[in-house]
Amino acid sequence: MDSKTTELSQTFERFKAAFVRKDFDTCTKLLSQLKVLLTKFRSLPPLFEETTNAIHELTLARDIYEHAVVLSVKIEDQDAFERDFFQLKPYYTDARGRLPQSPQEYPILGLNLLRLLVQNRIAEFHTELELLSPKALENPCIKHAVELEQSFMEGAYNRVLSARQTVPHETYVYFMDLLAKTVRDEIAGCSEKAYDSLSLKDARQMLLFSSDKELFDYIKEDHPEWEIKNGFVFFQRAKDSTPCKEIPSLQLINQTLSYARELERIV
Amino acid sequence: MATAATMVSSAGGLLAMLNENHPALKLHALSNLNAFVDYFWPEISTSVPIIESLYEDEEFDQRQLAALLVSKVFYYLGELNDSLSYALGAGPLFDVSEDSDYIHTLLAKAIDEYASIKTKAAEANDESAVIDPRLEAIVERMLDKCIVDAKYQQAIGMAIECRRLDKLEEAVIKSDNVHATINYCIDVSHSFVNRREYRLEVLRLLVKVYQQLPSPDYLSICQRLMFLDEPEGVAMILEKLLRSENVDDALLSFQIAFDLVENEHQAFLLKVRGLLTPSAQPPEPVQSGPASVQGVDAVTSEDVQMSDGTQSDNIATSPDPREATYAERLTKIRGILSGETSIQLTLQFLYSHNKSDLLILKTIKQSVEMRNSVCHSATIYANAIMHAGTTVDTFLRENLDWLSRATNWAKFSATAGLGVIHKGHLQQGRSLMAPYLPQGGAGGGSPYSEGGALYALGLIHANHGEGIKQFLRESLRSTNVEVIQHGACLGLGLAALGTADDDIFDDIKNVLYTDSAVAGEAAGISMGLLMVGTASEKAAEMLAYAHETQHEKIIRGLALGIALTVYGREEEADTLIEQMTRDQDPILRYGGMYALAMAYRGTANNKAIRQLLHFAVSDVSDDVRRTAVLALGFVLYSDPEQTPRIVSLLSESYNPHVRYGAAMAVGISCAGTGLSEAISLLEPLTSDVVDFVRQGALIAMAMVMVQTSEASDSRVGAFRRQLEKIILDKHEDTMSKMGAILASGILDAGGRNVSIKLLSKTKHDKITAVVGLAVFSQFWYWYPLIYFVSLAFSPTALIGLNNDLKVPKFEFLSHAKPSLFEYPKPTTVPTTTSAVKLPTAVLSTSVRAKARASKKEAEKAAEKPEPSSGKGKASDKDGDSVQIDIAADKKGEPEPSFEILTNPARVVPAQEKFIKFLEGSRYVPVKSAPSGFVLLKDLRPNEPEVLSLTEAPSSSAGGSATGQQQGSASAMAVDEEPAPPQPFEYTP
Repeated sequence: MDSKTTELSQTFERFKAAFVRKDFDTCTKLLSQLKVLLTKFRSLPPLFEETTNAIHELTLARDIYEHAVVLSVKIEDQDAFERDFFQLKPYYTDARGRLPQSPQEYPILGLNLLRLLVQNRIAEFHTELELLSPKALENPCIKHAVELEQSFMEGAYNRVLSARQTVPHETYVYFMDLLAKTVRDEIAGCSEKAYDSLSLKDARQMLLFSSDKELFDYIKEDHPEWEIKNGFVFFQRAKDSTPCKEIPSLQLINQTLSYARELERIV
Repeated sequence: MATAATMVSSAGGLLAMLNENHPALKLHALSNLNAFVDYFWPEISTSVPIIESLYEDEEFDQRQLAALLVSKVFYYLGELNDSLSYALGAGPLFDVSEDSDYIHTLLAKAIDEYASIKTKAAEANDESAVIDPRLEAIVERMLDKCIVDAKYQQAIGMAIECRRLDKLEEAVIKSDNVHATINYCIDVSHSFVNRREYRLEVLRLLVKVYQQLPSPDYLSICQRLMFLDEPEGVAMILEKLLRSENVDDALLSFQIAFDLVENEHQAFLLKVRGLLTPSAQPPEPVQSGPASVQGVDAVTSEDVQMSDGTQSDNIATSPDPREATYAERLTKIRGILSGETSIQLTLQFLYSHNKSDLLILKTIKQSVEMRNSVCHSATIYANAIMHAGTTVDTFLRENLDWLSRATNWAKFSATAGLGVIHKGHLQQGRSLMAPYLPQGGAGGGSPYSEGGALYALGLIHANHGEGIKQFLRESLRSTNVEVIQHGACLGLGLAALGTADDDIFDDIKNVLYTDSAVAGEAAGISMGLLMVGTASEKAAEMLAYAHETQHEKIIRGLALGIALTVYGREEEADTLIEQMTRDQDPILRYGGMYALAMAYRGTANNKAIRQLLHFAVSDVSDDVRRTAVLALGFVLYSDPEQTPRIVSLLSESYNPHVRYGAAMAVGISCAGTGLSEAISLLEPLTSDVVDFVRQGALIAMAMVMVQTSEASDSRVGAFRRQLEKIILDKHEDTMSKMGAILASGILDAGGRNVSIKLLSKTKHDKITAVVGLAVFSQFWYWYPLIYFVSLAFSPTALIGLNNDLKVPKFEFLSHAKPSLFEYPKPTTVPTTTSAVKLPTAVLSTSVRAKARASKKEAEKAAEKPEPSSGKGKASDKDGDSVQIDIAADKKGEPEPSFEILTNPARVVPAQEKFIKFLEGSRYVPVKSAPSGFVLLKDLRPNEPEVLSLTEAPSSSAGGSATGQQQGSASAMAVDEEPAPPQPFEYTP
């Protein structure tokens, strides 16, 4: 084992120690170092060179990135999650044939699906889903995310919210909380379209808030254009929907005339 | 571990890494992405903004890498402009020597970009135009690389395109074969450089390079100098060569002079001639050579006597033998430059090799109805064209009665026809025409024949009218009969073609201002002829008058005249063209089409073609549309293969005028080529439903097929039979009948020894020929203009000349079957016409026998009996050919695969590539040209020379002006000793 690998392993050990201690600042710093160290290895993606220690290095790198993903959830950094997940992904997809499967693989994939759901990136969600094998779909972590998406699409929002209790992995909690917010936004969007106004009580119920204050905060923060008057919430949506398009008659006339003229010129 | 190469399937990971904070990670991501961009550019393209921001980040130290990556992504996205600008940002990372599609594409793009910026800057005369120094650096790097790798042609192309004359010079000088490279350069600059001024710049540079060479190629230099219109340079070179001790240098200078003459640039040649004066002498006596004739009174018959007399004085006075040789050579070269030598030799050649078939004319004459004056004069035209330049007027002499049926304008044409027949007969032209010329107020002759005679004089002296100008001017001034004015104007225009002589211009202008339709039309054309290619502001004057006058004929004449003035001026003419093409008057728009044709003649300029095509389909006047299509022929003649393709659609137009134009366009641009596609395009048009389309197609077909033998394209024979059928058919329309008669004339033009050539051998446009065809195409309105076609005829001959400009006996090889290029068989007596229709029945042996017989006759006519003195090997020509024939007979083979030709010989254009000079013969050509005038170096100067072509057609000069109808003299046959062409006159 050469010095690079040793250094990497040692740093990783320190990272893991800090991780267990929940000393996330140190973790972030060490992770950055680890990533820089990883760039030195030619056996890793995207080069995948066949070196003697390739398998060992690949496993180690995968481990590091898996930790990085989990770390990002812990520090509640979605961007970092996305970044790290994408860097981890080649280890799952491209190196699949060479490495034994990681126990963390499905939970992390499930997490990613959840994240997409939270960010309301449904198209990407399905793209990811397509890439998974039927076996993976059986996994509870994945299944959880898939079911959530179905409920979400059906509009069975209470089922989504109640699913928080049945998370298959502790890291999922963070995203489930976020999901509640996503659901609320969705409801708000629908109500806006469906009603001109709602009573405060109905609105509170509809948006799944427990108190009026929460409702007011939410309105203030996310929908400042809503108006609260006489115990009613008025959705001031843009009533002036664009009138149906006029037929561009002048343009068409011009075009037809020019066709006629061109026809004249045909030799 | 057996998994060979694990491939990464997505660039997602790397792209994610770009968002990392640590610069090392970004760098890692960038460099890996750069390596994988070829596979993952679709993925990367979504992240381009991130990479762009990296490039714009001043603190990031690998900005260039980011730029390169972005550039590659844009390249794959097809956004070459963006790609290029980022590639420039990539600096040295953009490696021009890398062999990849990306690099190649971007380099091409960079060069295009650079070239377009440079061109724009040059066109706007904007010196300050900013060019990205990085762009310039890339282009320069590329140029240097080409030069270092010895890819000179690429370097030259790029340098020309980018207007980097400094690099061009470097490339040319460094190349291993400078002469070849320069020739390549010249070709390139002619075919690809559209702007005239820039082309001149390039040529100027090339001349400079030429002159620095240790062994300059004077032939090419002089051609370039001529193109640049720098007579001083040419004169200097010629003088240097003439003064040389070496005889070869003198030969070379003669050769240069002949080559220059071939380009027919009269004004230029005059200047050169003016500059070449005996050094020690005051210039007056010689320079006034042509001018000294001016005092000559109209009766003097020795009209075009050049200054030889005065020069012999000079020789006598110079005691130094070297001066004497020099003076002698000078006389010769001035003779050549005046065009006289070549005209005279051509005349002798055409006369001695005349193969015209009188039977064809006889058939035409008999079948043409008596009262149909159109066909009657068409026959006269055909005769003139058939015998153009041969001085053989047998047909006219034999049919004086028939001829006398021509009245009024037909008489004008008949008389003018003599001018075509005697074209180039400079010495005796005037005396030949004397009986018909206006007799100083004595009245007598018909004004029609007098006008025709003046026109004829112009045709005889076309483009070489130094000696006749004065007489024509006087004739013009002394008459106020409009028919005579008409003839005189045309004659003067022809004789003073392109000289831009102000006095003559004023004389003609006076005629124009009389506002007589007939005279005014000729005056308009004549002004154009006079000012050909000068782009002088006189054009505006003419345009103004065209707006003023009421006569359509005058407007038309002026319109054509204006068009002629912008000949070859390309962009310079754009304003005028614009003005004409936007005019209300269709006749001026019609002139505008001609202006486009003339200004962009032979350039194949895209803009001009586009404009013409636009007018061809959009103008309201049929005349304009017809002319627009016809004009395409002029624009495209340097590239004849293109024309059939471009006009093929137009040839199927519903509008007969457009079809006619298409036929003529093909006829003009493919003239003399025998191009198969052109014939295929014209064939259906010859049986069009509209009579004038048939006429145009027949004429065009004849122009294309001239000098193509039946052996090389069987359709020639079919066409001849078709013509015969049309002429004999009683029910055929007059129009197409006329077309067929003219076509027969053109097909056998100049005794079957000339072809229509619009380009000289050096690819220089022949101004006279182009102008001739342009005016010829006016015959739609005015039949006498048909004679202008004779200006486009150039003899297809190889004429070898020795030091004394005499034609020595000399043999060379045509490495092809003789039948491919032989003269068409003479037609048989009409009773056996059925035999003509069955060509298969003719045995090859009898064909050959006939060919041999005719060849021998030709030889007999061409040479003096061969002397045996001192001619060892070369003289056994007859024996040779006989042997070959015998051998061929024995084997039953159809014919030998080669043929020995004797100087001077007919060499048709298609034959040129088969011409070889024999090794070890006595004469060696100075320049190995397959046709035209070739100076021969005599390797055995001490042996006596045998000359051929010594006899010249001479006339009984100053023959009786009363001119009896000497029918007996007409018995002259082609092969006999030349009988003097006698003047004759119509019975009033």
